[in-house]
Amino acid sequence: MTMTNLFTIILLLAGCFFFLGGTLGLLRFPDLFSRLHALTKVDNIGLGLIAAGMAIHIGSPWAALKIFLIWLSTLLASSTACYLVAKFQLGRPSESPEVPAK
Amino acid sequence: MSLWIDSLLAVLAVFLAVRCLLAPTLPQCVFLFFAFGLTLALAWARLGAVDVAIAEAAIAAGFLGVLLIDALRDFSRSRSTGEGGDRPSRVSQGLVGAGVLVFLVVAIEAVWRVPNGGGLTALAADNLPQSGVDHPVTAVLLNYRSYDTWLEVGVVLMALLALFATGGREYFCRPVVRAVDPLLRQVILLFTPVLFLVGAFLLYLGKTEPGGAFQAAVLWGAGGILLHLGGWPVFASMAPWLRHLLLTAGFGFFLLLGFLFMAGGGALFEYPLAQAGLLILVVETLAALSIAAALTAIFAYFNGMSAESAEPFTPASS
Repeated sequence: MTMTNLFTIILLLAGCFFFLGGTLGLLRFPDLFSRLHALTKVDNIGLGLIAAGMAIHIGSPWAALKIFLIWLSTLLASSTACYLVAKFQLGRPSESPEVPAK
Repeated sequence: MSLWIDSLLAVLAVFLAVRCLLAPTLPQCVFLFFAFGLTLALAWARLGAVDVAIAEAAIAAGFLGVLLIDALRDFSRSRSTGEGGDRPSRVSQGLVGAGVLVFLVVAIEAVWRVPNGGGLTALAADNLPQSGVDHPVTAVLLNYRSYDTWLEVGVVLMALLALFATGGREYFCRPVVRAVDPLLRQVILLFTPVLFLVGAFLLYLGKTEPGGAFQAAVLWGAGGILLHLGGWPVFASMAPWLRHLLLTAGFGFFLLLGFLFMAGGGALFEYPLAQAGLLILVVETLAALSIAAALTAIFAYFNGMSAESAEPFTPASS
């Protein structure tokens, strides 16, 4: 096994671990805000690790750049979506949302 | 290893489809449908049909998903209980069941008869030099079977015309009245040129690699939908003739081209050898523009409809 292969495997496994953690958080956390926290933060790290693993595996700088751009746009889109969902929940008048103390 | 992945995908697709059909509430049904669409896209990618995979993910999971979520919002507003309306009678249930059964039998029979040698792959590959493009899927879609593709572009236009006929003409170019989050507007402004560029890239890539008019159209349509959601209704600022030209250009140019070929003594859509590549690129570009415009208009129609009946949404001042 070459060094790059080892790196790829480690990065992919770490990415899968983070995804698993994020999904567990989505399923087990009590309210919307902590679920959002788990989904957007942890999953983006997982995706970043998997993207890095794939970039190393493919080994072409152009492909790596494209993968990096995909990750970047996912980051932007998911953090915006997270913000919008949280804001919508805060603005809902009917139920009193449990705002986490910061 | 790859057999394991494929088997897992197949089982997952069937499982999700069954779960989607049996889901107790509408939101569950919609989100299971997304998951099913993405699984299907992965399956297409595994089968080597990357074109279909992109189209499946973009149209079935992406565009249809947007429409379904929009519809979901209307449903959750209009009736609180899931039980509403009349259940279809036994007779109509039986008829639908019988129809589905006949369809399944015909479909299985058709798949059964596909020759093991790969069907028409060799024929498509042999004629590739005369088609004007280097990617067999694009050659099939826009040269060998361009009649089908022409009608597909027509189907999208037809759907839009049906919406217009039910009174949607005013909705799709009406300016948005509700307040839009400033951060959302900034992000949409950032993504619009990126979507346009990636769409154009996919369109041009279709000549040699997976990609093409429909994939590009969905990306451009997504850009149009995002702009509409961000408070810039794309059609509102357009002159009516330009709007109509944009919506019909793809179908119309295809038709014109077919007539010109026939007038020149050839068959319908028989491209002259020398200009085939260029003509296909023009047809694809116009078709992509028209489909993108139609997708945006369809979304704008539904969104405008539901905004009409909604109470004004006021975001929290935080």
